[in-house]
Amino acid sequence: MKDSVICVENLYRDYETTKGWLNKKKVIVKALAGISFEVKKGEIFGLLGPNGAGKTTTIKILSTLLAPTSGESRVLGYKTFGEENMIRQHINFIFGGELGVYRRLSGRDNLVYFSNLYKIRKNIRDKRIDELLELVGLSEKGDLKVETYSKGMIQRLQIARGLINDPEIIYLDEPTIGLDPIGARELRDIIKELSLRRKTILLTTHYMHEADELCDRIAIINKGKIVALDTPVNLKKQNRITSVLEINVLGIYDKELEEIKKIEGVETVAVKKNDQWQLILIQFKNTHNITQNVLNVLKNNTVISVNERGALLEDAYVRLVGGSI
Amino acid sequence: MITVLETIYSTAKLQMKEAVTRPTFRFCLLIQPIIYSLITYKMFINSGHDNFVAYTVLGTGILTLWSCICFSSAGDIERERYMGTLQVIYNTPTNFKVIILGKILGNTMLGLLPFFISFAFVRLFLGGDMYIKDPMAFGISMIITIASFMGISMLFAAVFTLSRSSRILMNCIEYPVFILCGILFPIEILPKWTIPLSYILSPTWAVKLLRLSVEGLEGNDIFCKYFGILTTITIIYFILSNILFKIIDNKTRIKATLGVV
Ligand SMILES: Nc1ncnc2c1ncn2[C@@H]1O[C@H](COP(=O)(O)OP(=O)(O)OP(=O)(O)O)[C@@H](O)[C@H]1O
Ligand SMILES: [Mg+2]
Repeated sequence: MKDSVICVENLYRDYETTKGWLNKKKVIVKALAGISFEVKKGEIFGLLGPNGAGKTTTIKILSTLLAPTSGESRVLGYKTFGEENMIRQHINFIFGGELGVYRRLSGRDNLVYFSNLYKIRKNIRDKRIDELLELVGLSEKGDLKVETYSKGMIQRLQIARGLINDPEIIYLDEPTIGLDPIGARELRDIIKELSLRRKTILLTTHYMHEADELCDRIAIINKGKIVALDTPVNLKKQNRITSVLEINVLGIYDKELEEIKKIEGVETVAVKKNDQWQLILIQFKNTHNITQNVLNVLKNNTVISVNERGALLEDAYVRLVGGSI
Repeated sequence: MITVLETIYSTAKLQMKEAVTRPTFRFCLLIQPIIYSLITYKMFINSGHDNFVAYTVLGTGILTLWSCICFSSAGDIERERYMGTLQVIYNTPTNFKVIILGKILGNTMLGLLPFFISFAFVRLFLGGDMYIKDPMAFGISMIITIASFMGISMLFAAVFTLSRSSRILMNCIEYPVFILCGILFPIEILPKWTIPLSYILSPTWAVKLLRLSVEGLEGNDIFCKYFGILTTITIIYFILSNILFKIIDNKTRIKATLGVV
């Protein structure tokens, strides 16, 4: 594709680690097992997948922090390993959490330093830092040391840091983790705003509604492989004939889940654990009526509530990667 | 345009700002020189030297400078790895080597403070006079010493970027050098097999040069010889670290050692 700014083709990445202490054994973890995708300029592209699926690994390779084991990964037409000097000026990344800033310095000092490393001229720098502090709502706290910040404030500073070089491509790895609902909302607005300014965004998240709201296209990856790649609308469409039965119960055994799986029309069964009860999510073909059969299986359990609804993005996800959420 | 020098300067400044807020570093800079001064003073006072204060201050200064340098290469990289800033600074358009050099410069500048602390402490509390017979030679020796310490530090930093066990390595190199390089007593009393090791470590020659200029030069020959050796070793350090950084730039991304996750 001509207007693709990110091209990944048949990308593999293995990690070599050792197991044991005295009797060290080499272990190879296959984090990526041949993924391919392209991201167009100005697109918001989502990577979804369970823990350990290879999302961060993909982002690290694309941000030139990690070498691929094999396969191609190109950003702005340049190889991410070998031609990284042509790329680094134009990209930046924001990893969720409290890492990536100097805690003993003020927020502003952090940003000044990082802009120096990006070789940004002083007259642009000072203006941009003020704007960024304003954008992430840290204008008043900018001169305080980062160690006095709350988790969410550090996360906001990270966001400002990630935008310091006005990057063309921004990688966001679980960027809203640790933000309060309003902070998360604001960050999503920032992301949309950046996209309007034709910035390309590649993001990972575990929040389906976030992916649904933001992403133009989503790749779902599982065990280092892409299992689906489409727009949120199409991903949900694949599930059109599927409905979801949500049942809250107090206690559920694997044996009962197995029985539910055997009911005709049932496609997947997943369990989400809450504090005191479990939410059973059953996807089924809506040509069947399974409710009574399921309740028969659960006749010895305390059923709190039963609810039938249409499929969401989350259900498409569960279907593709299976198991628990 | 932000030049390489500006980057080095701003990194050094940040490094100093950050370092002085760290309790361990403050200990290294302020308390350790006093302890070392006491120890070296006791050692040198009975040495029969009339200039034992100079030996005390010099010994203390070099010991603490060395400790600071060990911190600057190993400790900082380890810390930045865990703070998640290592991958951030590594990924900027600025050459990683330049950033490391800035950090080392910052630590070295702070690391010179103990010379003064030690001097003040000895003068105020212990007593005794000191002189520097050849201030000019001393100045030159000091400059090449600092350059050389920075070179060795770059070399360590390169190794530590690649290794996740930086801290252990750091602890392993901090103290042997005190003995190997003749900072406290002459290397001639060490076993024969350690002598080559002493000779390839630049502090050995730095100490010789500094002592020589404190005592005054009899002739220029021996000074020039030591100076030549130290300069050569320093240049070799820088060349080696340059090569290492190139290798490491690839290795670290293949082995994934930049981040904790
Ligand atoms: N430095 C490393 N050394 C060894 N194995 C690693 C390393 N980094 C990641 N892995 C392994 O590679 C696999 C993919 O990890 P990755 O961090 O890409 O997952 P992820 O999709 O980002 O997961 P999460 O949702 O938990 O963040 C995992 O099995 C992980 O254990
Ligand atoms: Mg991850």
